[in-house]
Amino acid sequence: MEANSGLVPGRTLMGWKNPLRRRTMTSSIGDVSVCLQGCSSANMAVDITLLFKASVKTVKTRNKAIGIGFDSTKDEIFKRSRPKSGFSPRAKEVISNITKLKDFLLQHRKDYVSAGSLISSDLTRMTDNERDQIDQDAQIFMRTCSEAIKQLRNEAEKKITSTQIKEHRGAVLDLIEKYLRGVCKLYSEQRAIRVKRMVDKKRLSRLAPEHHSRVEKPREVEPVEGKTVKEEGSEKSVSEVLDNTVEHLWEEVRVEDELSPEEIQMFEQENQRLVSEMNNLVDEVRQIEGKVVEISRLQEIFAEKVLQQESEIDNIHQLVVGATENVKEGNEDIREAIKNNAGFRVWILFFLVMCSFSLLFLDWYDS
Amino acid sequence: MAASVREKQTVALKRMLNFNAPPLKNTTAEPVWKVLIYDRFGQDIISPLLSVKELRDMGITLHLLLHSDRDPIPDVPAVYFVMPTEENIDRICQDLRNQLYESYYLNFISAISRSKLEDIASAALAANAVTQVTKVFDQYLNFITLEDDMFILCHQNKELISYHAINRADIQDTDMESIMDTIVDSLFCFFVTLGAVPIIRCPRGNAAEMVAEKLDKKLRENLRDARNSLFTGDNMAAGQFSFQRPLFVLADRNVDMATPLHHTWTYQALIHDVLDFHLNRVMMEEGAGAEPSPAGARPKKKSRRTYDLTAADRFWQKHKGSPFPEVAESVQEQLDRYRAQEDEVKRLKSIMGLEGEDEGAISMLSDNTAKLTSAVSSLPELLEKKRLIDLHTNVATAILDHIKSRKLDVYFEYEEKLMSKSTLDKSLLDIISDPDAGTPEDKMRLFLIYYITAQLVPSESDLEQYKTALLDTGCDLSPLNYIKQWKAFTKMAATPANYGNSGVKPMGLFSRVMNTGSQFVMEGVKNLVLKQHNIPVTRILDNLMEMKSHPETDDYRYFDPKMLRGSESSIPRNKNPFQEAVVFVVGGGNYIEYQNLVDYAKSKQGKKVIYGCSELFNAAQFIKQLSQLGQK
Repeated sequence: MEANSGLVPGRTLMGWKNPLRRRTMTSSIGDVSVCLQGCSSANMAVDITLLFKASVKTVKTRNKAIGIGFDSTKDEIFKRSRPKSGFSPRAKEVISNITKLKDFLLQHRKDYVSAGSLISSDLTRMTDNERDQIDQDAQIFMRTCSEAIKQLRNEAEKKITSTQIKEHRGAVLDLIEKYLRGVCKLYSEQRAIRVKRMVDKKRLSRLAPEHHSRVEKPREVEPVEGKTVKEEGSEKSVSEVLDNTVEHLWEEVRVEDELSPEEIQMFEQENQRLVSEMNNLVDEVRQIEGKVVEISRLQEIFAEKVLQQESEIDNIHQLVVGATENVKEGNEDIREAIKNNAGFRVWILFFLVMCSFSLLFLDWYDS
Repeated sequence: MAASVREKQTVALKRMLNFNAPPLKNTTAEPVWKVLIYDRFGQDIISPLLSVKELRDMGITLHLLLHSDRDPIPDVPAVYFVMPTEENIDRICQDLRNQLYESYYLNFISAISRSKLEDIASAALAANAVTQVTKVFDQYLNFITLEDDMFILCHQNKELISYHAINRADIQDTDMESIMDTIVDSLFCFFVTLGAVPIIRCPRGNAAEMVAEKLDKKLRENLRDARNSLFTGDNMAAGQFSFQRPLFVLADRNVDMATPLHHTWTYQALIHDVLDFHLNRVMMEEGAGAEPSPAGARPKKKSRRTYDLTAADRFWQKHKGSPFPEVAESVQEQLDRYRAQEDEVKRLKSIMGLEGEDEGAISMLSDNTAKLTSAVSSLPELLEKKRLIDLHTNVATAILDHIKSRKLDVYFEYEEKLMSKSTLDKSLLDIISDPDAGTPEDKMRLFLIYYITAQLVPSESDLEQYKTALLDTGCDLSPLNYIKQWKAFTKMAATPANYGNSGVKPMGLFSRVMNTGSQFVMEGVKNLVLKQHNIPVTRILDNLMEMKSHPETDDYRYFDPKMLRGSESSIPRNKNPFQEAVVFVVGGGNYIEYQNLVDYAKSKQGKKVIYGCSELFNAAQFIKQLSQLGQK
């Protein structure tokens, strides 16, 4: 593709292939050596922005020739004084904050998760304190962001603007919320991995002291090792870590090395029993942990659904209250109507009786 | 043509909405919001491809019509997707003057002319908004894609390029020129989006030939212009995995007049024929029920329901072309499967209740929580399935009502027999004078098909008899005049089209096709099975693609825009059979032809066929056009 120097209006409909024209265009516009075919994927939309700019120049020169001038300076100053604290700049601010959070999380993701071995003395390895700090900071940040979004939403609803602008702002806030939710998901994924690793680590560290007793009694190595699910490697590394700490304990034990064979056997049996007990416990606890994690996930889903229904239930509640009020008033009105009806009847009766008496009177008077 | 036309157009639209930059794959990218402004053409193009939710996901907060009242939203970029017509340009200039938005990205559906560009430029200068007009693009997307392999030219002003407009007797040359230009412009946009230069073949002596000549000229000019050609560049390298160029067959409606009038039996074609179906959207009235309203109460209003039949609907994609009884069975099957899943979810509730009593709580718990998790996560899927099943149940029930009231199956069977020239068991007169078999329109269609496919013109007395019978049932006879003319004309030109051997095997009368609990009682509706047959358009395509020699197609003209000199010959240079083809019917098409082509493509391994037409009409609309033509 050759670089088109500016707008060669070589589109076939126009048939402008005049090279002279091209040169003048180039000189007036400057160095715009952009290929008109601005796309490299399967879309053949043609960018005619440069053509448009050329037409602008043409019109300008034409207007100058005719003598129409446009005072552009006044309007430009006017435009500069756009409201700086409008809705859009604040929304953009919230987005930039969320982006900062996302970048921060991604940056420290590797260290945070630290899939490497647990004994690495790398400088990049984070302590748990640092991780907790990150957790806390991220949570506070997310909370402030969601509050800012809520605030924006309230403000947007209070201001009396046209429906289109309201709709637009609502949609913008929805987009920002979605973005925030995406970033929160990143964070919670990271955290879940970290929690899982902590749990695993704790489990391993519980088993480790028995590993050394097993070193002396090799027969118990097989069943125990068969029961553990973790790979040998991580166990050994854990044992290495605890090696130093347990080493001096071992020293003390070796002092009383002269034990009678019966005592040794007793100790053996007790060890066996303890080991099996511990393993049972470990199994149960592992299962329970797994279930708890699942339950918590379910709980999250349910909570979400319930919260969604909250607004609808509120609506229904209000409607029901209104309906009860209406029914009560209706009852009152009916009672009054009955009373009026009764009273009305009394008057009619009285009137008829009076009429009949007057008739009788008149009749007696006449005769 | 590795990706289908629909995907290509969707990708192009998404690029445009992303300010003409390729969209990023990263899902947690910063949201950028914008406003989309379109005119009716743009709306028709976008609505089958992108749903409102997808637009929202791309950051479009508002989507508005160009000619509606729009309020200024001063800090938002606006993407315009309009046709470069006078009124649209005026409105854009007005928007620029009123400073409605912060920046303007103008995308024109087809190429804009220089003078109109200058109009916008002067308005921008006047409003001092030149810097706000950030980008101007020609999108070349002037066609509507309905399916993966089907497109139509336009929906809004289709009267301008309808069959009636092309074939009316009082047409002027200038009118014809403008119609041809519109069609060629859209076809050009189609090939630009497809990214391939086709080899064009068309019959002689009718509108299709004119279109072919103009298209060839336009493609040739564009290719010659090496600097500006739309067909060179990375696009070709990326998109073309086959060395072959597609075959573009132009057919004219006049080659086959019976198929648009034919009663159909496949699902999609039935929906188009019987219900209100436009741009993949069905509009139905929900009946209020047959019971009389109680005294004093307001009569129940009939609500209109619209359903979108999209590409995501797997049931629809699978059963678009199946005959109707099969569709009914499948809906029933899906419903049963859905109910089974629902019951399973409900059963979990009872299991949950038991868990506290059992000793082995932990082991049961593990199963249950896993089951519960899977059930809860599959709930949204289940709901979506239910919605689709409801949709199809409603649509199919509506169609079934129509079929039963108009006895469409009888018509279908009879017409198939007429078109395949097999023996008829009932005489035409019986069906026409049968008072409860169909509307007058149905009868008219039947009679027209009979007239078109009859080898010998029926005698005058027979004709009179038919005419009186038709008039008795209230038909309008003007289409008949036009068809008579047409028949005379085509008899002069060529041998009448042969509809091939089709067979209709009725699978006996089913008194009740479904078992208990079903909603489809197909009493008395024959379960007809379609045997594969080829309508004329498919046969033409077959001949041309396989380079078979056939008297019908030997005389077709041959255009190759890539050749240096156009030739008048009709001898193809390339002797190999084609793998890809685009069939375009000038004057209108319908779903029966589309379905037939899809079946043909399926039967041949490795061939891809795309169907297009200048407008999509169902038989009712076609009859209206014919009567207009016959009335002059």
